[in-house]
Amino acid sequence: MKELIQIHNLSFSFGKQQVLVGLTANFYAKELTVILGRNGSGKSTLFNILSGMERQYNGSVLFGDQDRKHIKLGKNSPLRIGFMAQFHQTTFPFTVFDVVLTGRASFSRFAPRQVDLDLVAENLRAFGLWHLKDKPYTALSGGERQLVLLCRILVQQPDVLLLDEPTNHLDLHYQVAVMEHLKRLVETGTTVVSVMHDPNLALLYGDRFYVMQDKKLHGLEEKDPAVLLSTLENTYNVALTDVQHDGRTLIIPKRKRL
Amino acid sequence: MQRHFKILLLVLMPLAVVFFSLSLGSTGYVGLSDLAHYTRTAIQDLFVKELTEAPMEMEIILWQVRLPRILLTFMVGAALAVSGGVLQAIFRNPIVDPFSLGISSGAAFGAALSMLVPLIPINFSAFLFGVLAVGITYVVSYSGVRTSLITMVLAGMIITGVFTAFLTVLQYLSDPYKLQAIVQWTMGNLHTASWDKVQTAFLPIIGGLAVIAAFRWKLNLLALGDQEAMAVGVNPRNIKFALVGLATMITASAVASVGMISLFGLIVPHISRIVFGPNNEIGIFANMSIGGTFLLLIDDFSRAVMPFEIPIGVFTMILGAPLFIYLMRKNAVNWNA
Repeated sequence: MKELIQIHNLSFSFGKQQVLVGLTANFYAKELTVILGRNGSGKSTLFNILSGMERQYNGSVLFGDQDRKHIKLGKNSPLRIGFMAQFHQTTFPFTVFDVVLTGRASFSRFAPRQVDLDLVAENLRAFGLWHLKDKPYTALSGGERQLVLLCRILVQQPDVLLLDEPTNHLDLHYQVAVMEHLKRLVETGTTVVSVMHDPNLALLYGDRFYVMQDKKLHGLEEKDPAVLLSTLENTYNVALTDVQHDGRTLIIPKRKRL
Repeated sequence: MQRHFKILLLVLMPLAVVFFSLSLGSTGYVGLSDLAHYTRTAIQDLFVKELTEAPMEMEIILWQVRLPRILLTFMVGAALAVSGGVLQAIFRNPIVDPFSLGISSGAAFGAALSMLVPLIPINFSAFLFGVLAVGITYVVSYSGVRTSLITMVLAGMIITGVFTAFLTVLQYLSDPYKLQAIVQWTMGNLHTASWDKVQTAFLPIIGGLAVIAAFRWKLNLLALGDQEAMAVGVNPRNIKFALVGLATMITASAVASVGMISLFGLIVPHISRIVFGPNNEIGIFANMSIGGTFLLLIDDFSRAVMPFEIPIGVFTMILGAPLFIYLMRKNAVNWNA
């Protein structure tokens, strides 16, 4: 496995408040890497740095062998990086089709071509969103919007896909659909790095795991359920218990009062 | 099918209104039937090559008085509407217009300044101060990726206020004759239209509109926000910069040639979104067509109904506000969604 994203000694602070300190980690090509961690632990900050939104950091972030700060946007870039952030608000009631079509914007100078339209149709169909194509984006439910935005990122056929909680508004059906789709993308050569909250969903689909704690990323490579359990208990500061089923470890919280 | 009908309407409506406007004027002499007759003989001339005598007065009224005014009005209407539509898309804010970002008042100040101290041409001075005003608005409210839209509108209001105050100072300092010219001009006037003015305004406005139209697809992307543009591999900064510059250019040219016409650039983009939806691919053309036609109709109204000329800026408000309120109520435009 090839290391695609190398982060070395990364530090970041908002004013005086340190968010990331000396973070070092490697993410591998053609894998689904999952980052777990508590709210406010710095996951989204790391995501912003990786996605190129935040540039005021210390340390080095390499994609391939290029510094993140030097990677140009657009279709001429050797590495296409698509990302989906957590929050998005839009003002105008564009149709779903038009929103997804903007995902192809970097491929044409002016008007979109037939290829672009075809890819939009293909992706909307793949997520079962085709029937919504003429609906205003603003009239959709939170989960549907999230899927539409994911489609929008995917139509550019990125080499690297960065996701910040891609399943957080989705019902169980779509959570599985999205994770299955991501898995297929990984199999066809895409590198996916995703921040997630549900450890079970993460363990089910992820190839490699990290937890964000104490302003750093810690690898979670133990296959021993007991170690896994204690690490996650420590991270989330909650009592957990594990359930073994079909050779898989499921993690569920313990109730405090029974 | 319905879409094709709407597009056909976008093309036919301005033509019909332009033709109709040619038949209106303070003199009752050249009316619709005269115009029809004139057109028929003119078309016959084209084919038959016979020398028919068109009355000289009619030629002058149509070609020297009415046509330049109609063309200028149409260009100004289209420019203000497109400018408003572009700014609303880029700043993702339906309450932004050329006025609220300070362009109009900056341009008005620039034009008045050059009327008073004629160092540089009015057009150029208007453009310069229009750019300056929107530049200040942008710098004052800028805070990286997280530039707040509300801060931007507030900054625009303040800058508008400042330049309006400067304009008042100029008016206070100027002698009565120049004062009258400035005041009349700031209220928006079209009766001074001439081929000269059409010529001056033509290149910046039509050129600006053409370039904006070429970038119409990118406006959809920009309307989703900077982050969403970067997420799909487009750096929004340069396109935004260019489009705001073009919007400023066409607004300033419009303001420089006919004065301030307030709220027009706010209302028309809303009307075109109500009719054609938010997609800027067609929205840009809708703004051109509806903006030009609407301003022409308002000007027709002020020419035909009143025995004396009322500045167009006054009429856009008086006629535009109720229409807009009606559309807003009827379509339940809800921006909270």
